[in-house]
Amino acid sequence: MSAILKYKWQYIMIMPAVVLLLLFSYVPMAGIQVAFKDFHIGYTIWNSPWTGFENFAFLQDSQFWLVVKNTVYIALLKFVFGFPAPIILALMINEVSHGGYKRFVQSVSYLPHFFSWIVVAYILQSLLTLDNGLVNQLIVSLGGDPVFFLGSTEWFRPMIVASGLWKEVGWNTILYLAAITSIDPQLYEAAKVEGAGRLAQIRHITFPGILPTISIVLILSMPSLIAVGMDQIYPLMNPANQPVADVLDTYILRSGLQQGYFGSATAVGLLSSVISLLLVLSTNQISRRINGEGLW
Amino acid sequence: MKRSTGEKFGQAVITVLLLLLCLTVLYPFVYMLAISLNTGSDAAKGGVYLWPRQFTLSNFHIVLGNKVIQHSYLITILRTIIGTVSGLLVTLLAAFALSYRQMPARRVLLTIVLITMLFSGGLIPFYIQLFNLSLINTFWVYILPSAFSAWNMFVMLKFIQGMPEALIESAEMDGAKPPRVLFSIIIPLSKPMLAALGLFTGVMHWNDWFAGAFFVSDQNLIPVQTFLQQLLSAQDISVVMGSNNSVEALARGSQNLAQVTLMSVKMATVMVSAIPILCVYPFLQRFFVKGVLIGSVKG
Repeated sequence: MSAILKYKWQYIMIMPAVVLLLLFSYVPMAGIQVAFKDFHIGYTIWNSPWTGFENFAFLQDSQFWLVVKNTVYIALLKFVFGFPAPIILALMINEVSHGGYKRFVQSVSYLPHFFSWIVVAYILQSLLTLDNGLVNQLIVSLGGDPVFFLGSTEWFRPMIVASGLWKEVGWNTILYLAAITSIDPQLYEAAKVEGAGRLAQIRHITFPGILPTISIVLILSMPSLIAVGMDQIYPLMNPANQPVADVLDTYILRSGLQQGYFGSATAVGLLSSVISLLLVLSTNQISRRINGEGLW
Repeated sequence: MKRSTGEKFGQAVITVLLLLLCLTVLYPFVYMLAISLNTGSDAAKGGVYLWPRQFTLSNFHIVLGNKVIQHSYLITILRTIIGTVSGLLVTLLAAFALSYRQMPARRVLLTIVLITMLFSGGLIPFYIQLFNLSLINTFWVYILPSAFSAWNMFVMLKFIQGMPEALIESAEMDGAKPPRVLFSIIIPLSKPMLAALGLFTGVMHWNDWFAGAFFVSDQNLIPVQTFLQQLLSAQDISVVMGSNNSVEALARGSQNLAQVTLMSVKMATVMVSAIPILCVYPFLQRFFVKGVLIGSVKG
């Protein structure tokens, strides 16, 4: 008791955080029971009737499996392009010998990170819109037919991957560039004496030097793999591209908040939370085995 | 050390590629600015690429005269300031408390925080809780749920634990209570870290459109980004023309109004939201980079 009193200030200070976590994290966790209940606004999560697995009927819905496929597809595409790109860019920036130009490239490439995905959607709209978007003006002037990029199922995924790269590739170089600066310059001196060219130096010094950083970033990016970026996708989704654009998060949003199927939307959410939890836990295990320590 | 011709060539290729990257980043803003400063009906004919052909400010007049936009700006500014200050305060208090390693139940409290980073109830139960707390359709839905950040708390905790313990111990010898230690020792030493995390939190608030779109239906409470999101899929310009101070003035003054198109108004609106960021970015950039590096230390 005296120990607790001794730390009374600390308990007072942590109180607001605990209350907020309780209200906005733990009560919603208890709210997961809605997935197994027949919930309507007006009932509380506690007194609505249990329905067992009725809300999981979506598992037999082909629409749901299409959404799963879209989610996995977009996640993989974003990973395959989005993971190596900042590494390559960082290696390229590092090769610039003019300090002023180097800083300029860094400043400019970090910039898009600070704009919302809504602004990105506007940029895409202004460049790609059917009547007189910049790209279609170009296509028409070259004698082609305008393409309806924004409402096309073929162009949706390239658009998501490209705009994702545009927004985040520069920002994601920061960690790699920091790792490169911490490489011992003597290694390069020694390599030069040995007669190694720039390419050999990159392969034998720079790349191995940032390999630990690469593996950490890889591990940390795994858990968010299936969170494919509702923020990015929702503003660009429309009835025309929905067959490829609809992902788990947009599906939950539509069936839950817009159509009022709280139970089944919660069930879909539960499934996706469990999958990302499994991804975190298994990555942590892998990290423990490889690096000797986990993420926490 | 002489460079071989191959290496010089490689250097040149890299310089050009990086220049292209910079152009790809910057050009969309140049293009949108040009369209927004051009009369809409003229821009619709195509051919405006770098600078306006028929210069006008009427698009900006209309956007800035719209009461919903003016109000949404006020909401964005308010939530950014209140959200950032309260977010830093709540999170810092928690991090400071947890930096006392001898505190009873410290591990339990850390675990309580950690669990929320691994698992969440998901959107729908969260929404139901906001509804039960009567936060739907209030300004506080922007502030309260994000006032504590588990991620930022671990960054802060790591930072505070890296401070020399002797400093805190000597202050305690002199009879300083924890609040005094926090305000006269920890906060002054944490300025760069607080600046970086504060900027990230601020940007998060400035850019969030989701809460305004789904947790609020009152148009008097939406932030700029939510307004932009609504305008993105608008089919005509009535959204912007309604309740507008400038429309009448413009209509009286000239025939400008007929030349305003949905696209020109959209571009002006998005520029209005982007210009503040473009203006402050060059000055704040170094804090952001520092912030990433502080955060990258394993929490």
